[in-house]
Amino acid sequence: MSVMQASQATARELLRPEVLARIKNLDLVARSVVEGFLIGLHRSPTFGFSQEFAEYRAYTEGDDPRFIDWNVFARTERTYIKRFLGDTNSHLMILVDASGSMGFGGPPVSKLRYAQFLAASLAFLAARQHDAVGCMIFDEQVRDYRAPSTRAGRLQSVLHCIDSAEARTGTKFDKPFAKFREHITRRGLVAVISDFYCDTENLLAGVRPLAWQGQDVVLFQVLDDQELDPDIGSNVLFEDLETGHAVEVAPAFLRETYPGRIRAHIDSLAKAAAGIGADHVLVRTSESLDQALRNYLLFRQRRK
Amino acid sequence: MSLLAPWFLFVALAITLPLWLHRLQTQSAVRRPFSSTMLLESTEKQVHVKKKLKYRVLLSMRVAMLLLLALILAKPIWTKTAPAFSESAATHVVLIDTSASMLRAGVFDRAVEAARNAIDSIPNGSLIQVVNADSRIHVAGELSADKAVHRSALATIEAGATRLDFGEAMGAIDTFAENLPPPVILHFVSDFQDSGMPIRFADLAATNIAELITHRVAVDARFNWRVEYARATAAVVDIGVIGSGEIAGRASVGAILNNRLVEQRDLVETGRSVHRFSGLQLEPGDNRLTVSIAAADDLAIDNEWYQVIEDTPPAPIPLITANRGRRAAMYLETALQADPRSNYRIEFMPVSETDFRTLSRYRWAVIDDLGSIGSELEAVIVSFIENGGNLLAFAGQGRAAAEQLPVSRHRVRATAVSANENEFLTIGQIDTGHPVLSDIEGWHSVNITRNIAVDVEDGDQVLIRLENATPFLIERRLGRGRILLLTSGLDNEWNDLPIRPVFVSFVVESARYLSGVGDTTKSFTTGDALPLSLIGGASGQVVDPQGNTVLSLVDTTREQQIRLEQPGFYEVYTPQGDYLVAVNTDPRESQAETVADETLGRWAATMGGQVERNGGPVAAREPAVRELWHALLFILALLVIGESIVGNINLKPHTEH
Repeated sequence: MSVMQASQATARELLRPEVLARIKNLDLVARSVVEGFLIGLHRSPTFGFSQEFAEYRAYTEGDDPRFIDWNVFARTERTYIKRFLGDTNSHLMILVDASGSMGFGGPPVSKLRYAQFLAASLAFLAARQHDAVGCMIFDEQVRDYRAPSTRAGRLQSVLHCIDSAEARTGTKFDKPFAKFREHITRRGLVAVISDFYCDTENLLAGVRPLAWQGQDVVLFQVLDDQELDPDIGSNVLFEDLETGHAVEVAPAFLRETYPGRIRAHIDSLAKAAAGIGADHVLVRTSESLDQALRNYLLFRQRRK
Repeated sequence: MSLLAPWFLFVALAITLPLWLHRLQTQSAVRRPFSSTMLLESTEKQVHVKKKLKYRVLLSMRVAMLLLLALILAKPIWTKTAPAFSESAATHVVLIDTSASMLRAGVFDRAVEAARNAIDSIPNGSLIQVVNADSRIHVAGELSADKAVHRSALATIEAGATRLDFGEAMGAIDTFAENLPPPVILHFVSDFQDSGMPIRFADLAATNIAELITHRVAVDARFNWRVEYARATAAVVDIGVIGSGEIAGRASVGAILNNRLVEQRDLVETGRSVHRFSGLQLEPGDNRLTVSIAAADDLAIDNEWYQVIEDTPPAPIPLITANRGRRAAMYLETALQADPRSNYRIEFMPVSETDFRTLSRYRWAVIDDLGSIGSELEAVIVSFIENGGNLLAFAGQGRAAAEQLPVSRHRVRATAVSANENEFLTIGQIDTGHPVLSDIEGWHSVNITRNIAVDVEDGDQVLIRLENATPFLIERRLGRGRILLLTSGLDNEWNDLPIRPVFVSFVVESARYLSGVGDTTKSFTTGDALPLSLIGGASGQVVDPQGNTVLSLVDTTREQQIRLEQPGFYEVYTPQGDYLVAVNTDPRESQAETVADETLGRWAATMGGQVERNGGPVAAREPAVRELWHALLFILALLVIGESIVGNINLKPHTEH
């Protein structure tokens, strides 16, 4: 095995949820995922980070000193940083659902923890590309909010906001999203991470105005394997994590009827998203994070 | 009846007791948390069905008993009241929606017909008022009982290009109804677009409207094209087009720049598509880009999109200096030119050659050393600021020992020295809420050896203080303009600000603030207001897309803003220069979805008519009141007997066992 192959294997290992679950620091998780993902991307014909040079800009405090062009400094004694086409980009707002149902799942990780990994990785990836990044944690209402910004320290603030989310209460999309629209003033990318256990119309009521506002919306639907393919031997009384409502279910129902229902629900969500020009990405918590990041980059590339 | 009676509440709470007891008996399977049960279905074993059904009867009887007991304790009564008013004695307001969506093929004609029918259905002798609503309420005709007058008034109403928000319309009509003889019945004729609904349903409520009668106008949405956006860069424009419904007939989209066709393409498929047109040849100043879809679709008004593309030359900034070769001038020039977002060009203006006529051509100016100007020039600069100009000034060494600073007229408190040469002062407090300082960091790295300590007066805003609380950056308003005064020099001798990274950000943000960049947006939606302050008050003029001047002489003194009601380009003439403003139809008017009948019903139910006549309340008819507790007590007794029988039957096997 060559050195390159070995490093790619290690990188892929770092993208696996069970490995990430052992790391407590979300900053480290995001860094590991994105670095690992980019190593894996190295040989990809589709993506790349070799950005096209656009212009020079005067260095201001808070800019990454790595981008200072030292050749220009040597000639003019002025500090300028290089800017690339990929740098002059958009806002990314990450909306994370922290309702009770997101607490379901595992081991190794619950859906909420996986959503936190994904959100942190997106934030890190966006910050790496000099996009302004912000986040909102919501359930039935807005629980925490960070406005998009490229300021130094904003990424840490966003990661802290994501890390502090805990699963509780129910889900509603209309109220928190209406609040969100009041705060957002610029067009940009909006990534909504949720399990979307709700009425499609309720979801559309929240997301459709965002699309009207010109936001490019991508819906990451995070589901656990036990939700897609539940496995029980005898009758079980399933208790709803949000409402507390209990339903006694037989194995035969889960085997024969339930898969069709969950598939129909996912399809209706995807169709509704397509209807308002949004993207829909299904993510399983047992899968590594690279596919979700790849989808995000594809989405971002299409909307530019 | 009081639902807050303590006994009622207590017994109502007791209903949970049988529910809890029965729940314990019926649920026996293993509990497991699950994310959502919305897709699950209860599949219980057949053997349990009979037992549970019996228990449920028992449970429902027990719950009903407690519920009845609670109701009895709340002392319910039954009242019967007659209708509050008769339609013939009411004032009828007929409101027609004249927003842009009503321009769909045939819709507005049907709306006028519906309004005519509504007028005909009103009882003879009733007062009628016809109004139409888009972004505002317009009264058509006088309040009268003559139906013929109102029918002819309908012919004068036309649909416009602005948006109607039902919440705002109801608020306005509610206020309007205050001055009408009550009760007021509102006949609302509209296509009831879903996008016209307000965010808060409560905004639809109206206290002065007794009754709402909705007349929905049918919309046959076949197909429609609309321009979603146009984003232009230097030579390329991306045009977003949305098509909905089945295509009927040929359609094409074209981009027209300054009345010259750039390119035209056929539209083949509906849905969202983006078309990139290149080869834009911009002219200096504001360019008119019109995107137009040629198609015979439902709604023609959204087939056009207007965009202003700026190709402005660098804005000149006068730098008033006594010595062009000084380091201060060089620092300022370098900082202003370092930011690629800024488009500025420094014009050096020697102190000896500066006069009011030259200076008044600029929006703002910079002085690198306030101490270097004489009293004559001071009068010129003060006049410039009082007439709306802005100034960025640095208190240099030239007037360090004077009692008062020129132009800003701050009294000098100390003789320029705040610290000795070997000790640095640093920044203490920063007003980060100010636009100049909100996005700047790094002030704390600046070291100051000397500054001019001045007395702050009422109306001054101290933006930065040193650690010894001395003002370092002050904003003062003078007439219609403002001064940003830095109380230290700019030659790298009194401080090291010019060589710190924060200096570039400070100068650039100050330039943006004082030049008013961002104050003037050039893209509006129909119905928006253009503040007169942006066009120079009485000195400006606006020409609408039809070529008519908008402002009369009276408007310039009375009006505070201009309403932009037509889509197209408005030409704005100001003392500081001319520019264009693009106005487009609100995209929400293109939505074909309509409000559900159920929602309209709930809307009508929110009307809270205050039934008064001639200033006094209508003689209230005494409602018939009858107490219900006797009947409820009788039913309760029956239920107690029934519960005993059912309970005895159901629980018998258990007792025998």
